Amino acid sequence: MNSSIIRYILGNVLRIEALLLLLPCLTAVLYREDTGIWYLAVAALCLLLGQLMVYKKPDDSVFYLKEGCVTTALSWIFLSFFGALPFCLSGEIPSFTDALFETVSGFTTTGASILDNVEALSHTALFWRSFTHWIGGMGVLVFLLAVIPLSGGSNINLMRAESPGPSVGKLVPKIRHTARILYLIYFAMTLLEICLLLAGKMPVFDALTTALGTAGTGGFGIKADSIAGYSAYLQWVITVFMILFGVNFNAYYFILFHNFQKAFSMEEVRYYLGIILAAVLFVFFQIISMYGSALEALRHAAFQVASIITTTGFSTVDFDLWPQAAKTVLVLLMFIGSCAGSTGGGIKVSRIVILVKTLGKELTSYIHPRSIKKIKFEGKAVEHETVRSINVYFITYMILFSASVLAVSMEEKDLTTNFTAVAATFNNIGPGLELVGPSRNFGLLTPFSKYVLMFDMLAGRLELFPLLILFHPSVWKDLYTQKKISRKFEKSKK
Amino acid sequence: MFTQAAKNTQKGLQIIIVGCGKVGATLIEQLSREGHDITIIDKNAEKVQTLSSLYDVMGVVGNGASYGVQMEADIENTDLIIAVTDSDELNLLCCTVAKRVGDCAAIARVRTPDYSKETGYLRDKLGLALIINPELEASNEMARILYMPTALEVNSFAHGQAELIKFRVPEGNKLAGTPISKLGTNVTNDILICAVERSGEVYIPSGDFQIEAGDIVSFAASRMVAKSFLENIGFKTNQVKNTMIIGGGNSSYYLANLLLSMGISVKIIESDRARCEQLSILLPKAIIINGDGTDEELLREEGIQYVESFVPLTGIDEENIMLTLHARQISNAKIITKINRMAFRNVINHLDLDSVIYPRYITSEAIIAYVRAKKNSMGSNIETLYHMFDHRVEAIEFRVYESSGVTGIPLKDLSLKKDLLIAFINRNGAIIIPSGHDSIQLGDTVMIVTTHTGFSDIQDILQ
Repeated sequence: MNSSIIRYILGNVLRIEALLLLLPCLTAVLYREDTGIWYLAVAALCLLLGQLMVYKKPDDSVFYLKEGCVTTALSWIFLSFFGALPFCLSGEIPSFTDALFETVSGFTTTGASILDNVEALSHTALFWRSFTHWIGGMGVLVFLLAVIPLSGGSNINLMRAESPGPSVGKLVPKIRHTARILYLIYFAMTLLEICLLLAGKMPVFDALTTALGTAGTGGFGIKADSIAGYSAYLQWVITVFMILFGVNFNAYYFILFHNFQKAFSMEEVRYYLGIILAAVLFVFFQIISMYGSALEALRHAAFQVASIITTTGFSTVDFDLWPQAAKTVLVLLMFIGSCAGSTGGGIKVSRIVILVKTLGKELTSYIHPRSIKKIKFEGKAVEHETVRSINVYFITYMILFSASVLAVSMEEKDLTTNFTAVAATFNNIGPGLELVGPSRNFGLLTPFSKYVLMFDMLAGRLELFPLLILFHPSVWKDLYTQKKISRKFEKSKK
Repeated sequence: MFTQAAKNTQKGLQIIIVGCGKVGATLIEQLSREGHDITIIDKNAEKVQTLSSLYDVMGVVGNGASYGVQMEADIENTDLIIAVTDSDELNLLCCTVAKRVGDCAAIARVRTPDYSKETGYLRDKLGLALIINPELEASNEMARILYMPTALEVNSFAHGQAELIKFRVPEGNKLAGTPISKLGTNVTNDILICAVERSGEVYIPSGDFQIEAGDIVSFAASRMVAKSFLENIGFKTNQVKNTMIIGGGNSSYYLANLLLSMGISVKIIESDRARCEQLSILLPKAIIINGDGTDEELLREEGIQYVESFVPLTGIDEENIMLTLHARQISNAKIITKINRMAFRNVINHLDLDSVIYPRYITSEAIIAYVRAKKNSMGSNIETLYHMFDHRVEAIEFRVYESSGVTGIPLKDLSLKKDLLIAFINRNGAIIIPSGHDSIQLGDTVMIVTTHTGFSDIQDILQ
């Protein structure tokens, strides 16, 4: 284990966080809020620590998948820890556990809040909350790869550990350019949404934070009723953009280079849109009687479905009041999640599709025991190794999920609350049902449950294994002993 | 000339060697030098031709397990048959047939792990004298070295109670620059420095011999003392905690098995996927990596720079040597190199490879020790025999069965040959590092270190 490169990258992550923390400071200046001073202080702290950590160049800049995973997991923990400090220091969220929960929820693009009254927060805090979504959506390490030149070809391991989806590839030969293209698309789409929201007469601050929340598929609202208070036009714009941000970004890359055929023939995207369409129609017929006009019912159905499947978590109505069938569909959508390579969470459409195809293959093998059938996806045969890893992913997901539900159930709340609280955090959505429904929040949980859910959010965002690897004893043993050995070797060489 | 040959026939044994591979050739070379009458059998006519023109041996072409061929090789008058073909089953069959036809002793080489746990049973039931498993023997030796990583070579004597340990004296060591007699009793109390190699020459040191940095020193001691001696002169002798093995052959399996039982964690890199799966079933505690062991990137990813010991065991010597040199450059790991062929020994000796293991020598040594002991079935007996410093020094363990010119007399009063040392005396399990006042008693086992070759009796130590 190359501990020096891990330290170096973590240092750079802190430096970037210092840079990012300057944006809320700017907000504070604009709105003349004195809480900005704390953001500045934490930014200075991050910069100082970051500089100390990158002061010594790593002796060896090569790193492999294990280093990539450990670095990613530690980066996210560091980010969340320092990101939570301003909330806590400024006294807006006095409890550190709560502040951490809010920040983890932000960076992992969950959008689950512990705040009773969001509107009481300062503009600075609101902006920082939404901005964490934007950073977490595409990933801070991808950002790091885009701006900081790291030598060596093994950097793909960082991106592989952070980006969602079963297989992470490059768009262009250079990882740095790939990261830049991704951020460019991301930035352009966010900007487009802000413009469209402004065109719908949304206040500038609201447009900015909502767009940041949508882009990262986060879901922190700046209003107590989330998006319900905005006009129908604005709700439709947000619906469309939520769906767009849930699409595999490779599709946009193809569109950017006029390869429309390739973009529209992406199997995952077609399944994704198909699922959305089916779910919207199903929910629409369930709730049509509850609203004045069919159009309104359609709007609410589309908004909620898009919000849940892309794991954003905005809401225009309290869907907890909807009929059971509609609610169940929404809960199931939580698990499916968005496309691989998007900013959303969940199991991911591609995994679900391959899992279902595996089921089909298994059934065929009962009818024709000697039949050979390769699973195809996106027009290509899926390697056995990929299928295997998806199966393992699914099992691990289920185990962690059940364990979390069990841990949260210690609270003596009802099953729906426990189940949906875990589902909503593990899949990075935000609101669940019952006590953690869209009109309520996670503030009433015990600190223990909050830490369990924080773990779930991080595990969900990082796709389980990069976080779980931290619990493998050999990782820590290697970090400790190998450093000693390499030091000794250096000495003996001299 | 004629008389000498007649004398040799009189003295030597009638031996049949079946299989003229690497080990077979070494045996032919060694045993013919010691004056035995050797008949070689191999299916390959060319090999038989080459070897019988190279050494003074008779050649028979054919299947060594066949009755006809054995009769042609005069099995009825043979004292010993040694079967070292590639096939374990053929070796065992050779010996079984030979035992029925001519009443001779038989040695078989059996190396598949399938039989490795049953060698004792097979030997008894088939009435064989010896079953040799070169890979297992080599792995045993490697495991002993890893147990004491400062050593270049560790040979065990007297059923593991005493050890003969070889190490290189580094710059600035306590030992360097002082005559052995002046080292002080606190340093050399319970050990005996048996042999020293300096720039290609081997010395059996006397008291005024001066050790210098860069020398390779062999000493005899009991296991406990050996460790404290090495610590005394400033070495760390902790056993290694982990090992990386390149190649997943039989030796790797044996070695991994031994190491795991010693609590050392093992990582094996093997390129054949099916073999990897097999290994992971056989060695559930080891980490098995599927990949090319000569891929620098893979080695780095698996942390070659952090391992405490590194053992390249691929089938190709050149690869093993390259890997060793590579590992020496980037890590401090203890490295053991396995060399299968013997070509270019001088080059290998100059490469400074740390410990080197020659499995074929281990096999031939064991067989030769047996042959010598058999030749002298009366009187003293060879228990074990080791070659050190490329066969220039022999360490021989004799058992003293009857009183003779050497027993009961203080060592200082014996007129011993030059270049010869009595390294230790094993009396009822107690290891005595002898001084001039000690004497050899009946029933002792005595270890002799000497540059003379061909000793077969304890009396040979006298001038």
